[in-house]
Amino acid sequence: MKYFDLKMQPILKIDLTTRKAEEYRIPKQWERDFLGGASLAARILYDELTSELDPLSPEAPLLFMTGPMTGTSGPTTGRFVVCGKGPATGLWAESNIGGFWGPELRSTGYDGLWVTGRASEPVYLWLNGSRLEVRPAAHLWGMNTYHTQEKVKEEVGEKSARVCVIGQAGERQVLFASILCDHGRMAGRTGMGAVMGSKNLKAIAVHGERELPIFNLPRYKALRSEANRKLKEDNEAKVMREVGTAGAANYAEYLGAMPAKYYSRGSFPAVDEVSGAKMSETILVGRSACQGCVIACGRVVKTPKDVAKRKGPEHETMVGFGANLLNDNLESIVDLGDLCDRYGMDTISASNTIGLAFHLYEKGIVTKEVTGGLELKWGDVDAIEQLVRMIGSREGIGDLLALGSKRFGAHFGAEEDAVQVNGLEVAYHDPRGVSGMALSYATSPRGACHNQSDYFFVDWGHSREDIGIKFMDRHAQAEKSANVARHQDWRTVDNAIVMCLFANVDAEEKAALINAACGLDWTVADMMKFGERSWNLKRAINNRMGLTAQDDKLPKALLAPFPDGGSAGFVPDLEGMLFTYYEARGWDQETGKPSREKLSELGLDFAANDLWGGA
Amino acid sequence: MSAIFPSEEWLKELESKLNSDERYNEIARNWEGDLFFFIEPEGNLKEQLTFYLDLWHGTCRKVEYKPRADAYPNPAFTLSATYNNITAILTGKMNPMTAMMTTKLKVKGSMSYMMRNVPTVLDFVRCAQEVTTEIL
Ligand code: SF4
Repeated sequence: MKYFDLKMQPILKIDLTTRKAEEYRIPKQWERDFLGGASLAARILYDELTSELDPLSPEAPLLFMTGPMTGTSGPTTGRFVVCGKGPATGLWAESNIGGFWGPELRSTGYDGLWVTGRASEPVYLWLNGSRLEVRPAAHLWGMNTYHTQEKVKEEVGEKSARVCVIGQAGERQVLFASILCDHGRMAGRTGMGAVMGSKNLKAIAVHGERELPIFNLPRYKALRSEANRKLKEDNEAKVMREVGTAGAANYAEYLGAMPAKYYSRGSFPAVDEVSGAKMSETILVGRSACQGCVIACGRVVKTPKDVAKRKGPEHETMVGFGANLLNDNLESIVDLGDLCDRYGMDTISASNTIGLAFHLYEKGIVTKEVTGGLELKWGDVDAIEQLVRMIGSREGIGDLLALGSKRFGAHFGAEEDAVQVNGLEVAYHDPRGVSGMALSYATSPRGACHNQSDYFFVDWGHSREDIGIKFMDRHAQAEKSANVARHQDWRTVDNAIVMCLFANVDAEEKAALINAACGLDWTVADMMKFGERSWNLKRAINNRMGLTAQDDKLPKALLAPFPDGGSAGFVPDLEGMLFTYYEARGWDQETGKPSREKLSELGLDFAANDLWGGA
Repeated sequence: MSAIFPSEEWLKELESKLNSDERYNEIARNWEGDLFFFIEPEGNLKEQLTFYLDLWHGTCRKVEYKPRADAYPNPAFTLSATYNNITAILTGKMNPMTAMMTTKLKVKGSMSYMMRNVPTVLDFVRCAQEVTTEIL
């Protein structure tokens, strides 16, 4: 078997407290076993992430990682990932982001940036090739994400520099603050923007001119052009390009898989007004893409009141500020998404937490006294906008909402009403319509996440026979668990190399690309084993930080049937699904830990010893 | 009534089914668009076969078996699939959304329109399945 022959670049480790930087060389075996992106980050941070670690303390790590194909114009490989400990979840955190920043970072000669410490005052980093400067940023503090990018670019004087930034939400440590780069590309989930803010780090500008390492360039080029050619012909890619990710809104609503009115309704008759199709037919003026991507799912819109073009909403923003809040005004959703981007906060967590406020207001638990006189009527765009602003500035009730739905609910004695798992708000693919998402949410290593396994695609009809996942009824239950586990392993590969989930690259093709890029000779089975190893590693990290089987759960709302829509009456049997899932995973039914045997089989003996004792 | 797929009789039967099926008439009431269907040779089908259907407001205005390629220059949609894939859909062995999402059924035309009208597409497939009892 070939060893990992690619010469990877080092990681630059920066301590903001001491303002010192050093190169960190990745152990060769870790390169082979964990490859890059979120998987390699998990191995690197394994010892750092403890239950005692305060995610917003100077000691907390924040690791910006690329993958071995980032920037190589492979199919949708212009991406990177930001990892650490989630401030809202206290668990493993990873947040995947596109744009052009990741490829530019690799061109500096570094595959990652590992930030620790806390600057004594606001700063930004300017990494120009191998030269790093820590620059003052007090004058940028309080600036929104787009202005910050412009200003930093102007200051560094390098037109092709790329800048990732936080907005006011990150500065104020809103627990779901995000990191943004380029034209509104966002590391949205798990609050990595709050961690960056806690370090007084406003932005990181990068510019480089180095050739990116690829083990077998001629072979990689041939594979890459064939994969990109196929991608252009792919129906899903065509949908993404033409109608954006929100193009599936009508179908999801038809299935009863798109929650409305804070997860209490399974139908939203106004869906035609707030969908990707509607956007394409009315305000869409262009498309945007991450580096090297032939799909270009990004929306560029211009509403009648706009003087300039701006970013249009993707699926989660569309549903979160649309059906979730009974808002059928498309232009207002553009505004609300844009506002969240400017503050630098995750639209899923923001809209979900606002939805909870509306829900509790309707129940009489949240009152006008608490909201500062604001009436929370479903669909009231002004009220929604005010709450977004209050969160971004942490004013009034916004200060509580900034803690996310779990803590907001708990404050009012209504934690059970919060639609979240382990502190991360549930995305807008409802497991009552697509049952596989019950396990995706309950067992994801970062809380209720739809990107560790976007199993809704499989339940919508996208079988993956190349990895042994046949189509099953979207309401099938425990018999589906092994498929979900396999799908998670598959997506873990994507999150390591860091490939976008929207690219339909089949398994043989993906393994061939990895082999050509890294100097490996993996089969599809080897690749899936790699995914399984990384999945179990992240589980072990969480187990060490206190996660148990009791935490693999779903909120109350998702276990009550919808009264209406295409999935009315159905409830996932989470207990039954978890039982067969643990069996498929080789996890201990009682504790939820991967068994010693499973960890050893995957080459994770160090984790086996940590979880089960022994030398 | 039923006919062997693929044949002119089958296509005619589908036309009358689409015009008489109340559920389809209702679900497809807003659909406006004709389509070319290319069935690529595979298995028992030795050469490419083409169908044309003009679907309008829940009815089928016209069908043509083996039309000339230039007979309808601007169809709203062009669909194509191999013979085995299309028969798998018609016999219920393959979910039509699976065929679309995995590009086993290739689609050219407005994806926006298609995504808005998934229920119509699915009900069209149901009608096609119901008139299919025998496969070549
Ligand atoms: S499909 Fe969209 S999100 Fe994915 S890489 Fe392409 S442009 Fe970026």
